[in-house]
Amino acid sequence: MIYLHLFLEFFKIGLFSFGGGYATIPFLYHISQVYNWYSLEELTQMVAVASITPGPVGINVATYAGLKSAGIFGSALATIAEMLPSMFLVIIVSKLLKKFSDNFYVKSLIQTLKPISCGLLTSVSIGLLKPEIHDLKALILIGALLIFSWKSKRDPLFYILIAAVVGVVLVFLNK
Amino acid sequence: MEKENLPLYKLFLIFTKIGAILLGGGYVILPIMTSEFVDKRKLVSHDEVVDYFALAQSLPGIIAANMSMFIGYKLRGKFGALIAMLGVTFVPFWCIVLLASAIGSLTENNIVQGALWGVGGAVIALIVLTVREMWQKSHRDLFFYIIFVLTLITLLVVKLSPIQTILIFSVIGIVYKRIAEGKK
Repeated sequence: MIYLHLFLEFFKIGLFSFGGGYATIPFLYHISQVYNWYSLEELTQMVAVASITPGPVGINVATYAGLKSAGIFGSALATIAEMLPSMFLVIIVSKLLKKFSDNFYVKSLIQTLKPISCGLLTSVSIGLLKPEIHDLKALILIGALLIFSWKSKRDPLFYILIAAVVGVVLVFLNK
Repeated sequence: MEKENLPLYKLFLIFTKIGAILLGGGYVILPIMTSEFVDKRKLVSHDEVVDYFALAQSLPGIIAANMSMFIGYKLRGKFGALIAMLGVTFVPFWCIVLLASAIGSLTENNIVQGALWGVGGAVIALIVLTVREMWQKSHRDLFFYIIFVLTLITLLVVKLSPIQTILIFSVIGIVYKRIAEGKK
């Protein structure tokens, strides 16, 4: 049964997430609360690993989440399930191309999905920040990274490497 | 165009290579696809690649995967799209599987724990910056602010799932746009 749930959950992510890899996190966050597949800390770790390995972050994190939930078969299933909806859409859209992007309903839907995606990601940011509230060092680190690049977002690798180095340095300082 | 001549296995190899060198997310997709399919192989025109990039962003799902499937479909039809999807995820898939099995024993280590602690913070900062970026790229009118605030309340207070929230507000948004359009 876990395979069926896994397939459906990741199929839904593929169908409903707009705006790139990090836009899948609200759904993965929701999964971590509904099923006992992985914990919140594991989710952060998964996103981190997905960001530093080659390939699109959104797919990598699906592979990882599938692996955590149901082993290597689960990871293949989650990866493919997440891309399947877009595959059908790509084939349909390729045939219609211009007509698609000029359609009134498609345009309205895309305009509506933007504020919804912002809302989804904001709520996840709040959810992830809550457990960090007692960790002053983490709050300072997050604040510093944000101030550092508020005007324009840099390559994700840049943040991950800097933060990892800061984390390691703190381990040595505490010794 | 010699697109009929491109064998599927070759398409698979090209996308395997692209999957292996894609690092750091959306920033590199357009230049990589352009250099591979427009400059090097001349299989797709530059305008087409730009079109696909725009379409890939407006469809749900992962932008890099969507774009690979558009090009795969253009070159070899449905099988091309499927092969592009399998190719672009091939190397990343095995990287994750290998790293994930190694990380279990590594997390006992102090230094790795420290690094992961830092990276956890970076991930939160990255999510906040993604919101900021989406916010900047959107045309923000009253409609945008209202939907944004209502979405946030629905998720945090009413605690509906992301998908229920998306469905409800998509319908509301389309109905609203329809009515606004009718009034013009």
